[in-house]
Amino acid sequence: MPDFNPTQFAVPLFVVAVLAEMIWAKLRAPKAYEPKDTLVSLAFGLGSTVAGALLGGFALAVFIKTYDYRVVDLGPEWWAVWWAWPVCFVLDDLKYYWVHRAGHRIRWMWASHVNHHSSQHYNLSTALRQSWTGALTFGFLFAVPLVSLGFHPLMIAICGGFNLIYQFWIHTEAIRRMPRWFEAVMNTPSHHRVHHATNPRYLDKNYAGVFIVWDRVFGTFEPEIDDEPIRYGIVKQLGSFNLLWAVFHEWVGMLDDISRAPWRHKLSYLLREPGWSHDGSRETSDMIRDRWRSRAGGTVAREATSVATRNPIAGGGEAA
Amino acid sequence: MDVPPIILQTAGSLVAILALAGLAHWLNLGGTPTLNTNDSVRHAAQEADDGFEAIESVCDAQGRAALARDAEGRIMVIKRHGNRFAGRVLGQGAQARLWNDHGKTGLEVDPGEVRFGKVYLHLPDPEAWADAINWVNRPQHA
Repeated sequence: MPDFNPTQFAVPLFVVAVLAEMIWAKLRAPKAYEPKDTLVSLAFGLGSTVAGALLGGFALAVFIKTYDYRVVDLGPEWWAVWWAWPVCFVLDDLKYYWVHRAGHRIRWMWASHVNHHSSQHYNLSTALRQSWTGALTFGFLFAVPLVSLGFHPLMIAICGGFNLIYQFWIHTEAIRRMPRWFEAVMNTPSHHRVHHATNPRYLDKNYAGVFIVWDRVFGTFEPEIDDEPIRYGIVKQLGSFNLLWAVFHEWVGMLDDISRAPWRHKLSYLLREPGWSHDGSRETSDMIRDRWRSRAGGTVAREATSVATRNPIAGGGEAA
Repeated sequence: MDVPPIILQTAGSLVAILALAGLAHWLNLGGTPTLNTNDSVRHAAQEADDGFEAIESVCDAQGRAALARDAEGRIMVIKRHGNRFAGRVLGQGAQARLWNDHGKTGLEVDPGEVRFGKVYLHLPDPEAWADAINWVNRPQHA
């Protein structure tokens, strides 16, 4: 059985790439990095690996038990079944799309995933800004169908590792567009900038991990508009570099809401979308987008409606 | 003594993290944007709360923070956060008070969120802004 964790091997690559992007930033876009923000993002990355090692056991136990009841048996040397690897990778990416979508549309999941979005910057250090509390959600259950089907949990973990490595390089403003065919199929810096944006047009769009085709298929794709500057972060920016607050703020907010809410609404604060409130005092991403649309006269053009003038994206030609 | 690989790896990652953050500082990345014009405040207010159209604004003398008011009378406090800005529309729970800073009167705005923190501004006519902010926080009567 292979004993291989691709992300461990990729760590030196991550460090070198961040270093290279910082040099690019120094030359082309000094505002792309902020030292305190970088420190917090990288601390998130380190903490998430520690948290994963400490809290990941339950999910692993569920997967191993589920694997005993698999539908298809690839045999004791499952790792030697070559075709299973690409199939597993694609299905795992489909799983990623849905777990990621749930991470934005269910507040319990968002309480964890918001960690990845709370930086007001978008650079390679943001990619490493991973949650510490993923094990406290039910996200791992999205992998159960794959295990039930017959993919070994280790195979899924390795494919997931490569998926994560792929997603690292797309967290950058240094690349404007990839060739058109690539943009059509794969997740790219352009597509993922949209995902990290808080511009109303972009909220809750482009959930893809590796293949952007999932967003096109399931109706959540939104292209980046060149002359609409992107505002990164979350709708209500943290305004704090306190690491622990950054990790737990949404958990605190959610539990506070649940404790204050009337009994019949408590579950909704756990399972409905972020921003939902029983008295309508807050806004969900859909409400923000609707309000923006109505302000724009009901017709939202593809062209820009200026939100900000910062975040200059590296120069370069149009998509090939 | 054998050190477990996980400890070595964590320690190595920590060193790399501190080195990269230190490098970002050494390269002087980031910068310190200021809020010193009505346009800059209006822009930052729109970013902080989409649709917030400031019709009146006032900047801190050093450009670290600002206050903006929209046509509905809502007041937003905006502060520099790193090399970006973050803002809050002040609601019930927000408070403002004057404070003396080396002989100059400043305004302390507490948006009511501990982690967002209090915002300190040196601005013209702080009394009027303090009254306006505290008016938001007045007891509501039926």
